[in-house]
Amino acid sequence: MTAAASSDADLITAHAAGDPHAFSELVRRHRDRMWAVALRTLRDPEEAADALQEAFISAFRAAASFRAESQVTTWLHRIVVNACLDRMRRRQTRPTVPLPEAGPGEPVAPRDAMAERETRLVVQAALNELPEEQRAPIVLVDVEGYSVAETAQLLGIAEGTVKSRCARGRAKLAKVLGHLRNQGADANVPVNDVQVQQGRQLEER
Amino acid sequence: MTGNARRSGPPWSVDLLAELHAGALDPRTEAELRPLVENDPEAREILAALDATLEDLHNLPPIPMPRHVAERIDAALADEARPTAPVIDFAQAKARRAKRLGWGAGLLAAAAVAVGVAVVAIPGNNTAGDGGVAQKDPTAPVTGSAKPPTSGDLPAVRGQNFGPVFGDVLKAQNYGPLENQEKLADCLRGANITAGKPLGVSPITLDDKPAVMAILPAGTPGAYRIVVVDPQTCGPDNPDGVLASSTIQP
Repeated sequence: MTAAASSDADLITAHAAGDPHAFSELVRRHRDRMWAVALRTLRDPEEAADALQEAFISAFRAAASFRAESQVTTWLHRIVVNACLDRMRRRQTRPTVPLPEAGPGEPVAPRDAMAERETRLVVQAALNELPEEQRAPIVLVDVEGYSVAETAQLLGIAEGTVKSRCARGRAKLAKVLGHLRNQGADANVPVNDVQVQQGRQLEER
Repeated sequence: MTGNARRSGPPWSVDLLAELHAGALDPRTEAELRPLVENDPEAREILAALDATLEDLHNLPPIPMPRHVAERIDAALADEARPTAPVIDFAQAKARRAKRLGWGAGLLAAAAVAVGVAVVAIPGNNTAGDGGVAQKDPTAPVTGSAKPPTSGDLPAVRGQNFGPVFGDVLKAQNYGPLENQEKLADCLRGANITAGKPLGVSPITLDDKPAVMAILPAGTPGAYRIVVVDPQTCGPDNPDGVLASSTIQP
């Protein structure tokens, strides 16, 4: 039942029927994307790992009552996103922990690859500085490629709210990342964005 | 934002243009604003900057889950699937080895029956990946009791009942009095156990005595090994510093 060809729904059914490996297979299929979401929203690898472990255990226990009218993926992702949001709400301001630089297969030495990696670090640093209410929808929509409708469902907010939070977040990022030349009028940019901008300028030299 | 876009610009605020860009404006305002913006070079620059921002975000690389996190979650799920799994007791294994050597065979066999756990021999050179297989035995009596940790308390284990503290130890990376992975590895080496970084490690109490419990990967997905050491006495030359060693297979 845990063969690669099984659908997610098949795996949930197998899990409910007592297959001890079905749920782990389901998790294996989705864990990388969920890890990225957790890490980018929580910004702390230890917290992301704790959130995912809690979420997967919670999903494991709730899977027997899963109803097929919703997509397995959406259901599982919603549990993960909620676990992350709960942690974001509970915690006070915490120092930002640098994220891993890149995925597998990243070239080590070539100059262009290094510049690209620098750019990604700058973008990730800028993303980390956004308020949490803007960072979560931007991570889901703009980085992970969820639709606005899916994101609204995952975050439990209206689609219009997703759009406007993304809009505000993107406007800040555009300034921080140096895509907007004249940033004088709007002052919503946090202080340490200056460092991010300087980083980008250095990288562009 | 209702139909007053013309009055508010140009120049329009970045936030307003970002809302237009995101499709967040109501249809009437968007219909009014769109042609004006398209004829305004400064506004078009801002929209281009927002496009470039989106491209930056799209180009962020995937972040695969690190192996140690994946192993930790696999172990937690395996434990969840088998909440009452019996474990292989290190002391029992040593007893069996002693039995093979003819040391107090009758007494040790009686002890094994009394605690009702699966017993295997621990080979001379163990690694975290080659442990024995725990046999699930629903008839096995409870061999001890454990309470889940409470705030300010160390996780407490009695007997061989590690289940209630498993999740907490799995989430921890606290070597306690052992301080670091090297010292834990030294202690395990005393019992011929070779181990890398534990999935989780935490100070506990074992039968009210301070100890350190670690959960190690056991070589195959869902398999793991629980070890408990006495931080006061364990070391590379002391096999008795390892108080318990149990391997669970999926």
